[in-house]
Amino acid sequence: MLRTDPTASTAPATPRRPALRQPLLLAAGLGALVLCAALSLALGSRAIPLSTMADALTGTAHGGDADVVTGLRVPRTLIGLAVGAALGAAGAVAQGVTRNPLASPVTLGINAGASLAVVAAIYALDLTRPAQYVWFAFAGAALAAVAAYAMSRRGGDLDPVRLALGGTVLTVVLTSWTSALMLASHRTLDEARFWLAGSIAGRQLDTLTPVLPFLVVGLLGAFAISPALNALALGDEAAQSLGVPVARIRVAGGLAVVLLAGGAVAVAGPVAFIGLAAPHLVRPLLGNDHRWLLPGCLIAGPLLLLAADVLGRLVVRPSEIEVGIVTAFLGAPLLAVLARKVAR
Amino acid sequence: MTAIAAAPTGALTRRRVRTAAWSVLAAALLVLLTGIALGTGQVSISAWDALRALVGQGSPGDVLVVQEFRAPRVVSALIAGAGLAMAGSMLQRLFRNPLASPDTIGVTGGASFGAVLMLATGASQQLIPLAALGGGLLAALLLGGLAWRSKLAVTRLVLVGLAVQQGLAAAVNLMIVRFPAELASSAMQWTTGSLYGRTWTEVSIGGTAIGLAAAAVVLCQRRVAVLDLGDDSAGGLGLDPGRDRMWLLLLTITLASLAAALTGPVAFVALAVPHLVRLLAGPPTLGTLGLTALTGAVLLLGADLLVLHVIPVHGLPVGAVTATLGAPWLLVLMIRQGRLPQRSS
Repeated sequence: MLRTDPTASTAPATPRRPALRQPLLLAAGLGALVLCAALSLALGSRAIPLSTMADALTGTAHGGDADVVTGLRVPRTLIGLAVGAALGAAGAVAQGVTRNPLASPVTLGINAGASLAVVAAIYALDLTRPAQYVWFAFAGAALAAVAAYAMSRRGGDLDPVRLALGGTVLTVVLTSWTSALMLASHRTLDEARFWLAGSIAGRQLDTLTPVLPFLVVGLLGAFAISPALNALALGDEAAQSLGVPVARIRVAGGLAVVLLAGGAVAVAGPVAFIGLAAPHLVRPLLGNDHRWLLPGCLIAGPLLLLAADVLGRLVVRPSEIEVGIVTAFLGAPLLAVLARKVAR
Repeated sequence: MTAIAAAPTGALTRRRVRTAAWSVLAAALLVLLTGIALGTGQVSISAWDALRALVGQGSPGDVLVVQEFRAPRVVSALIAGAGLAMAGSMLQRLFRNPLASPDTIGVTGGASFGAVLMLATGASQQLIPLAALGGGLLAALLLGGLAWRSKLAVTRLVLVGLAVQQGLAAAVNLMIVRFPAELASSAMQWTTGSLYGRTWTEVSIGGTAIGLAAAAVVLCQRRVAVLDLGDDSAGGLGLDPGRDRMWLLLLTITLASLAAALTGPVAFVALAVPHLVRLLAGPPTLGTLGLTALTGAVLLLGADLLVLHVIPVHGLPVGAVTATLGAPWLLVLMIRQGRLPQRSS
């Protein structure tokens, strides 16, 4: 299904491609990301001039605008960077491990699993702050990923269409349980529906700090297995004969996806499509080599997330649309285009 | 298919007998559950008296309670259950995919979108079913428009359906987040699928429309059976598979949208019932289509009885129950099928 270029994974066979292209593209992406972060600091219901912003960041300015920057927008932007990077990397690993261009945290049911766990926790334990949701989101994400994986196996191999559909069925199940819980209690509904939209607004850095170690571990794991993912792209048997422990790589990859995507959901709520879109955006630019794809997704993920967040702040000024809803709107057409491609 | 043709006629007869037996059993269960549903409530009536009151016999008090208060709800459960199950069975055949259902191809999202949009404008309650129907047809339009590329390929339809579903669900989600708490609650109630507050007007209009659509589906069965042979064979037999599939799909989506307009998009009836019928009576034929409709009606009515009289949560939508009961069974079914060697499909 995934049209991979086998020559890209056997490194000695590709001296044709100039070695400078990928670092240059990464640097350009990094530049775009810095620009986007600056926009995220400057734009919002109150536009703040760049000079004031710079003063606030260096600590020389105080008062209204400066407090908005340091107190609200800096944490928001940092969280956006971390969540976007985690989702982008999770998408790249998920697509590599399952050899399926439609795999993503959403299609694997991870978001729905985390949502159900969080809503159940709010219902049963009277939680009120996103910082308290973290562990429940993690647990839900992990359970859902295991279930989706179990369903998509067919005669020992993973069936891509089955994985996408199985994940959707799982999502339907978990979503109706979530709705039932929310309908059973008005307090839960009111508490949870904003979290369920997926947003990086109004969170302080203390939401991010407990999750950060998991994101780092997940990221290290992703980098560690990225050469093996290149071999896996050739097919299970070919990878096996190259000496890659396929089963162990699958487990490690799944674990990395759960850590990264689970952590992202725990901080921001279910944000769709970043994990799906980032690898597809990067692949035409940097090629199929996971050693370049992964850093590319680390830049493309936050770039997409922050751009969507800024867009959500601008369209209905002075109010704003949650970033999860913006990405879902933009992502649905993308999924349709991908579907046309995959199915030829 | 070749297996059926090669099988001795005895096997075919046995399957027909089994289908007929299960159909009789389902019909009996249907009558029994209808009697119980009509008789149970604040005023208790025996099942037999309740059925008699339905046709206007017995004490005037019973007739009033049964005909005015309980019957609309029961009848709408029966009609919508049958319609959803038939639509699900047709979708699974047309998509050649055991997981195709209104929930996965966008009809649920479309119907929810239409209804919630109507709730947002604050229009009267009577317009909501109409809006849901419109939303379902919008989903069909999106599906056809996005998946069309000289002809409708099945895999592309399935995946584009997922995209349509997710996009429309995002729109619904946006409105639920923006609504005040009270409106958000009723929007969620509606999008989960519930049977509260049905009137005879809604039931009679919806029932007529669903009946017509179901009759059309039955008339098309021969064509569907030919399509089941595969596009090449169907083409060889003089059908235009792409065009026929499109019209059949439109008809099926209309049926599913009508059912969703009556009760909201009740999850899993359309997905699970065809699997159950396949386990009981074998591969789909015209005979099993009737059994499918009966089973869908029985299941939805049974789930509604659970909601009303067994589960002690007030105002729980019936969709939550069908999902809770149907989902684990379906998951187990999928996992078990995963162990089997790959079938050619």
